[in-house]
Amino acid sequence: MNLEKVIFGFFIVLAMTLNFGFFLGDIDNPSHHHVYELYAAIIVSLIATVLKFGDRTHVGAILLSTSLAADLQLIAAAILWAALGGKMDESSLITYIVSLSGGALMANFVSVILLISETIGQRR
Amino acid sequence: MNSILFLILRRLRRPLILIIVCFAIAILGLTLAPGIDDKGRLWHMSIFQALYVISYTATTIGFGEIPYAYSQSQRLWMTFSIYLTVIPWFYAVGKIISLLQDTALRQAIISERFANTVRSLHEPFYILCSYGESASVLAKTLDEKGMRVVVIESQQDRLNELDLAETRSVIPHLCADANLPENLIRAGVHHPLCSGVVTLTDNDEVNLAVAVAVKLMNPDLKVLARAESDDIAANMASFGTDHIINPYTLFGDQLAMRVHAIGTYILHEWLTDVPGDTLPPPENPPRGRWVVCGYGRFGKSVVQNLERENITTTIVEAKPELTGCDNCIVGSGMEARTLLEADIENAVGIVAGTDNDINNLSIVMTAYELNPRLFVVIRKNRRHNDTLFKQFNADITMQPTEIIAHECLAHMIAPLLAQFLTLVRNQSNSWANQLISDLVSVVGETVPERWAVSINDDDAPAITELLGKGISVSLHNLTQDPADRSIRLNLVPLLLLRDGVPMLMPPVATALRTGDRILFCGTPDARSALPILLNNSKTLTYVIDGIDVPDSAVWRWVKGFLVKK
Repeated sequence: MNLEKVIFGFFIVLAMTLNFGFFLGDIDNPSHHHVYELYAAIIVSLIATVLKFGDRTHVGAILLSTSLAADLQLIAAAILWAALGGKMDESSLITYIVSLSGGALMANFVSVILLISETIGQRR
Repeated sequence: MNSILFLILRRLRRPLILIIVCFAIAILGLTLAPGIDDKGRLWHMSIFQALYVISYTATTIGFGEIPYAYSQSQRLWMTFSIYLTVIPWFYAVGKIISLLQDTALRQAIISERFANTVRSLHEPFYILCSYGESASVLAKTLDEKGMRVVVIESQQDRLNELDLAETRSVIPHLCADANLPENLIRAGVHHPLCSGVVTLTDNDEVNLAVAVAVKLMNPDLKVLARAESDDIAANMASFGTDHIINPYTLFGDQLAMRVHAIGTYILHEWLTDVPGDTLPPPENPPRGRWVVCGYGRFGKSVVQNLERENITTTIVEAKPELTGCDNCIVGSGMEARTLLEADIENAVGIVAGTDNDINNLSIVMTAYELNPRLFVVIRKNRRHNDTLFKQFNADITMQPTEIIAHECLAHMIAPLLAQFLTLVRNQSNSWANQLISDLVSVVGETVPERWAVSINDDDAPAITELLGKGISVSLHNLTQDPADRSIRLNLVPLLLLRDGVPMLMPPVATALRTGDRILFCGTPDARSALPILLNNSKTLTYVIDGIDVPDSAVWRWVKGFLVKK
């Protein structure tokens, strides 16, 4: 067992689960989507991205790109929330934010699948 | 550049994660700490506001308490946050700065930049695996001829010299060990336009290693290597090194050539020197008994060649057991006693061939006092002793670096020239003298340009076009001025290579064929005029039969009509 691999896997899976947790619920119901859950998803996603830096393999490159895609959408959702919070209808604002986080969820999902496929491909 | 970006990112992983975690904790705490707004109500900072506050705090900008004055609990958390975020922030900044000053990273950036420059070369180029005395002469001459050069050298101070040198085009250079194949790859061994590798270090082992590596990585590449010991030279030859250059053997050959065929020697010098130079008339070495001081690699080669010309030699050597000479006078040759023992007063020439410049000068000065009629051959080892040797003014000054540079130039600038010179060596002295006077009458006293022309679709489209139409083009047509066919260009065809068979001094009436290769020598003007004939079929037609063919189809038709009438 390798501690580095444990931490690496933990952050990638956690990024996805937090993202999923935020995404879960009615898309237009603000009470189903907590701001701190989005916050935690962004922080974990950023850490996962930095952990993927410097891997020169092909799988490493794809992992990094999926993470960057997830970061982009989550940060876009956060900016939307910060910029438009209190200025427009809450239920339509939360719809935008949750749909963006849904996009990020797909990227995180691909990332986890890659991680699993790489693990299965491992000989030992 | 890609790998460097990843290298930086990987090194920055730890500080970046630290910053993200610390910011996350600080922001989270700030949003949870209860505050009071301007109307006295309970108020919590939003995540975005907290991010804003922490960002300006961590970077020590400090805008103050925004948007309302903080409560005690918020101030408590801010105090904690300052220490939590400012320290990782400076840690990260320090890490970035130290990373930029990291020698390994800098080396990686320099190597990568070098490899990129080489990759983007769009002209044929040569790789020089050293920048010593001979290589710098070589680089300078090739650069003046408009050929591109790439240099790998392991000593930075020699490259500094290259940095300061004025060159026509940029010479990409890398301070690295040419022994390592990866450096050779960076220098462009696999580049489709690489014409060859020249390895002239003074270490035979390095030259051998480079030659082996290049021949393994790209067998088609031409390799010119310097080798001073016979077994290394044989080793190089065994895997196909194209030209093995041994300065001592070369000088021995040239000395022998001077003794028995001065004309051939002059021709050889004249055609391999740097174009534009004038050559001093060489002295003819006398026949008789010679004294050779120093029986190292140089001395051995000289003695061997002199004996082949039936000249007797007396050898003076300080360490006969080391150099393996059986019949010699023991001594350095710097003192009059040893020279007298060698009977210097009745000798006709002296060769000072030790590997120490000051010793060599001392030998010839002592010998000169004993016998002022001596013909003096002196070996110069270091170029920076130039002034001393100029003062002395020996009959022949042998400098290994210049000999190597000349030999390389002959092979690199015009490969046909090397073939020509080999053929010339088998000709008589009077033949060579005749050729020199012919050449001087056409191209003048200065060292001419030498260049080769191939008759094919790429290099001479005009000729192949006319040949395809069944019009005969002779060598004579190529010596006519494209502006006025009655004037001769100042050039002489030296060699014509057809189906691998060389023809020395081809007669001008020779009809050209596709696939011929011709070696010319001539003035720079003639060299620049010749491509007009090779590329423009209209000019070539004019030169052949004096007819100016009109450019446009209509005019050609009108003219044809007029001619018919």
